Amino acid sequence: MAEILKMEKIVKEFSNISALNGVDFSVSEGETVAIIGPSGSGKSTLLRSINCLTRITSGKITLNGETFVDTGADGKAKYLPEKQLSKICSETGMVFQHFNLFPHMTTLGNITYAPIKVKGIPKDEAEKRGKELLKLVGLEAKADNYPGHLSGGQKQRAAIARGLAMDPMIMLFDEPTSALDPEITGEVLNVMQQLAAEKRTMIIVTHEMGFAKEVADRVVFMDAGRIVEQGAPKEIFENPKSERLQSFLQSMLRA
Amino acid sequence: MLDVIQQSIPVLLKGTVVAIELMAVTLVFSLPLGMPFALGENSRIKPIKWFCNLYVFVFRGTPLLLQMYFVYFAFPILWNIQIPAFPAAALAFVLNYAAYFAEIYRGGINSIDRGQYEAASSLGLSKAQTMFGVILPQMMRVVLPPVGNEMIVLVKDTALVSVLSVADIMKKTREIQNREVSLAPYLVAAVIYLIITFVLTLWINHMEKNYSKYDEQES
Ligand SMILES: Nc1ncnc2c1ncn2[C@@H]1O[C@H](COP(=O)(O)OP(=O)(O)OP(=O)(O)O)[C@@H](O)[C@H]1O
Ligand SMILES: [Mg+2]
Repeated sequence: MAEILKMEKIVKEFSNISALNGVDFSVSEGETVAIIGPSGSGKSTLLRSINCLTRITSGKITLNGETFVDTGADGKAKYLPEKQLSKICSETGMVFQHFNLFPHMTTLGNITYAPIKVKGIPKDEAEKRGKELLKLVGLEAKADNYPGHLSGGQKQRAAIARGLAMDPMIMLFDEPTSALDPEITGEVLNVMQQLAAEKRTMIIVTHEMGFAKEVADRVVFMDAGRIVEQGAPKEIFENPKSERLQSFLQSMLRA
Repeated sequence: MLDVIQQSIPVLLKGTVVAIELMAVTLVFSLPLGMPFALGENSRIKPIKWFCNLYVFVFRGTPLLLQMYFVYFAFPILWNIQIPAFPAAALAFVLNYAAYFAEIYRGGINSIDRGQYEAASSLGLSKAQTMFGVILPQMMRVVLPPVGNEMIVLVKDTALVSVLSVADIMKKTREIQNREVSLAPYLVAAVIYLIITFVLTLWINHMEKNYSKYDEQES
């Protein structure tokens, strides 16, 4: 399978903490990758650096053959100019833990806004496609509702549809169900499972071990800013090699 | 008493027109003018930021009455041009209120969750698209109550222009009261101010209701 994302020697230092300590990570087209690991291990930072919400300190990221950041001669990351960068980075869709829907737009408005403004798609076409996406996530009845009138699970499904509307090459999910009541995580996970089955490329940071096991093609375990272990879900969950992964899985079982 | 009231009403209504004109001019110019100052205060370009901060500091930190006198006398003293009292007063009002609105807008912009910027950026929206399509419309909702508050303050601030002999409600009231020894004109003037603030309050409430259609529903 073609490699769609390649990250090399990624380092991210915040003022006094180093969140990523030289991470190498790549993703193939159509692959669903789950990232697990303890709090503060750098999962979000890794995910956010893929669509430029976090600027890395050094390293190289290539998305679909285009390198948008690389380490310069001075050892610091050099990004492409803003315009090109925003175009490349918008080729990944992001779903956030807290949805971040636009509260002043209807559900359909949330979904069509970027395609119309960024891609210049005509309004009626964008709305037609938006309605299809709403149907995909089971929200066709909520097209004209404002996000404030949706439940948490509905909001997150709308946010997924919003991300999909830009036809991203990769969908990124940062703990998409962590802000939801346990009873309704299922409706969001079902949508994601459906996307995985359609062979969309997805990277999912999650604490839902059952979901990772069932849906992911590959599970990546991070700790202290490094990828400690990765492999098929069966390997990772049933035959963890590193001690840190073993104790992490133990702690997840207890939780 | 009754006939003083009767006499006062038409005179004071003329003053009311002047007061409302002043409010209208002030709002039409200061509401939009506050925005560049608000954005400027958040600017990463240091001189712009400093200028906007200084502007807001000066106009909020000195009395409107002083600013009004200053503008009125600045023209004849500095440039030897006599300008009529109304435009001078209006200019001071616009500059003053723009500073207050800038501060309110800035607070409104800063109250918008970072996640909104992140969502916009992840969708590939430009800085301008994010500002005008995502942040400012939400800011409107946030600033409506404090802006409404300032409008009410403005109604009463218009009385200040009487010191420049602009024939507003207050000036007219004083005129009648100089002729007739009676409190009646003050009562009529008070009622007029109350009516204006009442109507304004109704309108502000209506606007807030309009915006609340996309508020979170507590179920
Ligand atoms: N904006 C920031 N400023 C300073 N430090 C940060 C910032 N964002 C993250 N960090 C730090 O970087 C490290 C990695 O954070 P990150 O959010 O990537 O962890 P995570 O694995 O996503 O954790 P969680 O499971 O709690 O979401 C942490 O020590 C965190 O405190
Ligand atoms: Mg995180």
